[in-house]
Amino acid sequence: MRKVGIVGIGQSRFGIRSDASLRELSFEAAKASLDDAGIPLDDVQAMVVSVASDELSYALQPSAQVVDYLGFNPKPSFRVEGACASGSMAVRTGWMTVASGLADLVIVVGAEKMTEVSTAAVTDVLGRAGDFMWEYPFGMTFPGYYALIARAHMAKYGTTEEQLSMVAVKNHHYGALNPYAHMRKEISLDKAMSSFTVADPLKLYDCCLISDGAAAIVLASDKLAGSLSKKPVWISGLGLGTDTISLSDRRDITTLDATVEAARQAYDMAGIGPKDIDVAVVHDCFTIAEIAAYEDLGFCAKGEGGKLIEEKRTYIGGDIPVNVDGGLKSKGHPIGATGVAMAAEIAKQLRGEADPGRQVENARIGLSHNVGGNGQHAAVHVFQVD
Amino acid sequence: MEFRDFSLLVKDTKVSEFAEGLERGVILATKCEKCGSIYYPPRHDCPKCFSDEMSWIELHGSGKLLSFTVIFVPPEHFAPDLSETAPFSGYRYAPKPVGIVEMGNGARVMGWIPGIPREELQIGMSLTPKAEVLPNGRATIVLAPEGE
Repeated sequence: MRKVGIVGIGQSRFGIRSDASLRELSFEAAKASLDDAGIPLDDVQAMVVSVASDELSYALQPSAQVVDYLGFNPKPSFRVEGACASGSMAVRTGWMTVASGLADLVIVVGAEKMTEVSTAAVTDVLGRAGDFMWEYPFGMTFPGYYALIARAHMAKYGTTEEQLSMVAVKNHHYGALNPYAHMRKEISLDKAMSSFTVADPLKLYDCCLISDGAAAIVLASDKLAGSLSKKPVWISGLGLGTDTISLSDRRDITTLDATVEAARQAYDMAGIGPKDIDVAVVHDCFTIAEIAAYEDLGFCAKGEGGKLIEEKRTYIGGDIPVNVDGGLKSKGHPIGATGVAMAAEIAKQLRGEADPGRQVENARIGLSHNVGGNGQHAAVHVFQVD
Repeated sequence: MEFRDFSLLVKDTKVSEFAEGLERGVILATKCEKCGSIYYPPRHDCPKCFSDEMSWIELHGSGKLLSFTVIFVPPEHFAPDLSETAPFSGYRYAPKPVGIVEMGNGARVMGWIPGIPREELQIGMSLTPKAEVLPNGRATIVLAPEGE
């Protein structure tokens, strides 16, 4: 298979975007990625679209809206889905399309409009990404599932509520420096710790945001990538893992085995290990998810994730800077856009173009980690520059 | 007591007997006749040997609490203003602990924990899953303190 490089990245501003529709948000991101690549859409041969939820927009085939609005008809396009990991599924599918030789130039667009329905409705729809038949009837929500993970992690490894809040403090610190972030403000540990309980032990500031937004990347085959971009960002490793639909059935509730499996595949394919990663974005839908991700990706030993954030080792200047774009926590989490935005952020970091105060110096190898549901899917991608 | 309907969806499946079991006061699991694997929640089909020859067994006794939470921001169908009309409804939602216990045979059972205050809950403690029929005739599962 051929090497595949990212030659264009773009993102809309994330937030409560009552000023723009799903297709208009997609246009913002797609235009930015094409401008970045320096090519017209006419040159692109296929489009992969990631929109996670029909339920939030009450419309089937949202990709058709995006394709039409961008003027891409009649060229090939389709949509992929894996709840909150939809975006990474789309990146993977775009990679496959180029690597296989089916197309030389592909655009991957991820978008979600989440704030058109109530928070209660979003809570309901997302909760039903878990086992709607056997667990949802107990009032299970996304925060509820991660609360069960957090409580078990705290009991088994001594992880504290303060350590959870410290993840939020870090991600808000970096999100404040990201002009595309949904909630651009620093928060204090006190503020995080004293926010109201959503699902015990998770408090408001342990939970990511419900956002609107879009992201896009342009992928090119090796030869084309070299001529289009001075610094193509190669996708050198891809991993995709799955796990039980019911959280209750997990081998170990404190570990996302799908992440462990995806990481193993991605590291093997890239021929690297966790110590080689210069910068990472991980799926911090809840603060406990970031702590578990540190462990499941091999950034520290199992059970030591709480200590890793407490010692600020995931800040810039530490062992492994994580979510220095603000993460889902502060940058926002328009679920279909997230995985694509993760790839765009890592490409930005490896090109050395991140905003002042949040650029990891001389980063050469980056990683993205994107979880669908409460761990039913996990995608890990490794990115490298020459 | 304030619980949610459990059996509405299960009744339209190949394991509808589970819902009938709850109404009789028993929690049912399935056992694969071919490889002996036990499934809770019950499965009509065994993913280990791809057999659909299953038998029903009753879950008895207590299990160990693996984790628990109290959900204060409920999903829409459990929210107070919708609970009178929503399809899963009949009872107003009030935050109660919910948890998962692991039984001796490995089965993991999720249930409401109405009888123990949140601050007295501890991971590892023994709780007994029980089928409970609500005043409106619908059934749910409760994790009860030992000896109750």
